[in-house]
Amino acid sequence: MPQVKIIAKNFMDMVASLPAMKLDNLYSNAFICEAILRSLPPLAKKYVLQMLCIEAPVSAKSMEEWVLADGATKHKVAIDRLLQLRLLTETVDRKRETTYRLNPVFQSNLQKLLVCGEVLPREPMPTNVIGKLPSLENLEVFAVEQWECFLLQLINSSQAERPSNISSSTMKVFQRGLLSQREKEAPRLTESGFQFLLMDTNAQLWYIIREYISNSEERGIDPSDLISFLLELSFHVTGEAYNINSLTEVQRSTIKDLADLGLVKLQQGRKESWFIPTKLATNLSMSLTDSSSRKQGFVVVETNFRLYAYSTSKLHCEILRLFARVEYQLPNLIVGAITKESLYNAFENGITADQASCIPWLFYIISFLQQNAHPRVAERIPSVPENVTDQIRLWEADLNRIEMAPAYLYDEFPSREVFEAACDFAREWNGLLWEDSKKMRLMVKAEVHTNMREFLRRAKQ
Amino acid sequence: MAPAPSKLYADDVSLLMVLLDTNPLFWTSSSLPFSNFLSHVLSFLNSILLLNQLNQVVVIATGYNHCDYVFDSSLAANQGSENGRMPALCSDLLQKLEEFLVKDEQLHKEGSEKGLASSLLSGSLSKALCCILFYDLDICTASLCLIFRRFFDQGHSIHNPGYVAIMNSIFSAQRSMVPIDSCYIGSNNSAFLQQASYITGGVYLKPQQLDGLFQYLSTVFATDLHSRTFLQLPKSVGVDFRASCFCHKKTIDMGYICSVCLSIFCKHHKKCSTCGSVFGQAQSDNESASNLKS
Repeated sequence: MPQVKIIAKNFMDMVASLPAMKLDNLYSNAFICEAILRSLPPLAKKYVLQMLCIEAPVSAKSMEEWVLADGATKHKVAIDRLLQLRLLTETVDRKRETTYRLNPVFQSNLQKLLVCGEVLPREPMPTNVIGKLPSLENLEVFAVEQWECFLLQLINSSQAERPSNISSSTMKVFQRGLLSQREKEAPRLTESGFQFLLMDTNAQLWYIIREYISNSEERGIDPSDLISFLLELSFHVTGEAYNINSLTEVQRSTIKDLADLGLVKLQQGRKESWFIPTKLATNLSMSLTDSSSRKQGFVVVETNFRLYAYSTSKLHCEILRLFARVEYQLPNLIVGAITKESLYNAFENGITADQASCIPWLFYIISFLQQNAHPRVAERIPSVPENVTDQIRLWEADLNRIEMAPAYLYDEFPSREVFEAACDFAREWNGLLWEDSKKMRLMVKAEVHTNMREFLRRAKQ
Repeated sequence: MAPAPSKLYADDVSLLMVLLDTNPLFWTSSSLPFSNFLSHVLSFLNSILLLNQLNQVVVIATGYNHCDYVFDSSLAANQGSENGRMPALCSDLLQKLEEFLVKDEQLHKEGSEKGLASSLLSGSLSKALCCILFYDLDICTASLCLIFRRFFDQGHSIHNPGYVAIMNSIFSAQRSMVPIDSCYIGSNNSAFLQQASYITGGVYLKPQQLDGLFQYLSTVFATDLHSRTFLQLPKSVGVDFRASCFCHKKTIDMGYICSVCLSIFCKHHKKCSTCGSVFGQAQSDNESASNLKS
C-alpha cells in the first residue's frame, strides 16, 4: 500500500513543483502574482518589494548586506524560495559574481498592481438582476453544511443525505489513501484518513484541493489552468454574485465540483445563472490557516473521561465515534466517554505499518479535543483535563509494551570461555538481546548474525 | 510533525497608520510637488496592502487647522471600484483628501488670526494612537508612519506650541510599544521627529533624492516589525535631544526643572506654571544653577 503522508502543504509548494514553462506562464496572470507574493516568507516579500523598481540585476553580495548577521539563514531561505518559484533568476557573470534579477513578467505585473491598486477579477453582477443575495451568515452555513456533507460522503458513502454530483471516480481519488479497501470488507479509515478527519477545515480543504489538482490531468484538464482559476477565485469578494457565463467551459465544469465542496454557491435566475464565492473559496490563497477564522468549539471533556459535544452535526458524531464510545445522542448534544476500548479501536485502525506512527495519532486526538473545546472550557488551561490526556498517553504506551526484533538463538556452546567471548563479541556489536549464563544460551539481533557466525567459526579452530 | 504549521507566516500582519502632512504652506515651497508626492504615497499604500491580505492601512491627514481620517482600508475593502477606471483606494482617498483640504481652508478663514504655522502633529498622533487601540492587536502589529514635509524649524521657536502634547503622545506610543517611523522631507533634520523615532524604536529617514521617494518608503517603512529584528535599516546618526522650555518654547541645553512634575523652564520662576508647586528659597540654588549654565 502506498504510504500517503498527510501534510497540510500549502498551495505554493504545489505551484513551485510545476515545470518551469508552466510556471512562467502562470505569472502572466496578475492575480497569481499577487497570491504568490502573499504566500512568500516575510523576508522574501520584502526583497521582492525592494527590487520591484530595479531593472538592473542586483549582485548577491549587496543583497547579503541587506540583512544583519543573525538573519543569514532567513536570508538564504528567502532567496531559495524565490529561486524555486522562479521569481528570481540567477546569473553568474565572468567575474564569478552572482547576480539576481526579478522575473520581468512578474515584475511588470506587480508594478501595475502598485500603480493601479487592486482590481477585482470580474465585475459582480448588479443587484437588480439577481434580486436578493444570501446573507453572509447564510452563505457560511451553506458552506459548512456542504463541506460536512462532502466529508460524510467521503468517509461513509451510505450515510450522506444528498448525493453530490462529484463523479464517483473523482470521489474514489479522494478516498484513495484515506480509506483502505480490502476485498469483501467494509472500507475502513486508514491512519491518514483518521488524521485527515481530525485536521481543521482549512487543512482538509488543502488536502482535497491538492488531490483534485493532481488528479486533473486524468480528467484532461491542465493543472496550471486549474491552479490559476482557483487562485483567481480566491480574489473574488465573498457574498457577491458573478456571472457564470464569464467562465470558460473548463472552469464551468470545475465550479460545479467546487459547489459540492461548498466553495461556491450556484444560483439560477430567470435567464442567467451565477456563482457566489463563500469564505472557503476566498481563504484559498491565504497562506494556510489563520487563527482569526477559528470556529467556535463544541466539546467539553470532563475529568471523569466523559465527553459532551454540543453539536447537531452528523459528521462530528462520526468523528467522535472514531475514538470515543458514543452513549446517547440528543437533538443538540452527543454524550460519550473516552474508554480504553474505544481508544484501542482507534489505534487498531492504524496499526498496519509501523508502531511509531501511533504518536501522531495521539497528537491528533488530543489536539482535536483542544482545538474544538467549548468556549466555556477553552478559557481554562489546559482545556482538556490533564488526567485525561495523561491517561490517553498511558493507554497508548500500553500498546507498545512489546517490541519485536528478529533474532537468532545460540546454545550448546562447547565451553564457558567460548560462551563468554561470544557474549562480549555480541555486546561489542551492540547486538546482544538476552543471555542466560547458566544454560549458556544467548540471543543476538539478526543483523549481527553473519558476523557472529564468522566469529564462532574462528573460535572453533 | 510540527504541531502548529498554521502560524508559519502569520507574524508579518501589520497595521500601519500613515500621518500625512497636508499643510499647504509647506508644500508650496517644496521642490517635490504635492501631486507627485501623493502618487508615491499611494503606491506605497498599495504595496502594503499587497503584501498581506490582512494588512491594514489608515491614513490621517494633518492640515493647517485640523486633522482627520482620510482613508481606512478595512472600510474600503468591501466597496470595490465604483466606476471601473479608477481603483477604489485612489479615488476614495483623493476624494476624502479634497474634502479635508476644503474644510481646512474654511477653518483657516474663520479663525485666521489664530493661525498656527505648524502642522498639528499632536492631534493626529493622538488620533492615530486611539485608532490603534481600537483595532485588535492580537492578530497584527501596529506601527506609525509620519510623512512630513517640514515640521517646524528650531529657529522659529515661538511656533512650536504643541511641544508638551507631542512629547506626551510620543511617550504613550512608547508605552503601547508602537514604533513611530518618520520620513522627513526638508532641508534640515527635524529634532522632533528624530526624537520621536528614537524613543519609540522606529526609523527616522530624510530622503536625499525625492524622485525615488517610493523606493525609500517601500525599502524602509514597509518592513513589518518582525522582520526589523534582522534587517539592516537606517540608523540614527545623531539625535538632537535638547528639550524646549515650557515658558518660551525655546530649545535649551540647560535649564530649570520642576521637581514635582518635571516641567522645564529656561528661567527661574516662583511657581511652576504646569503643576502650581511653589519653588521656595531658590535664590541661593539659583546662583549655583546659573553658574552651571554659564
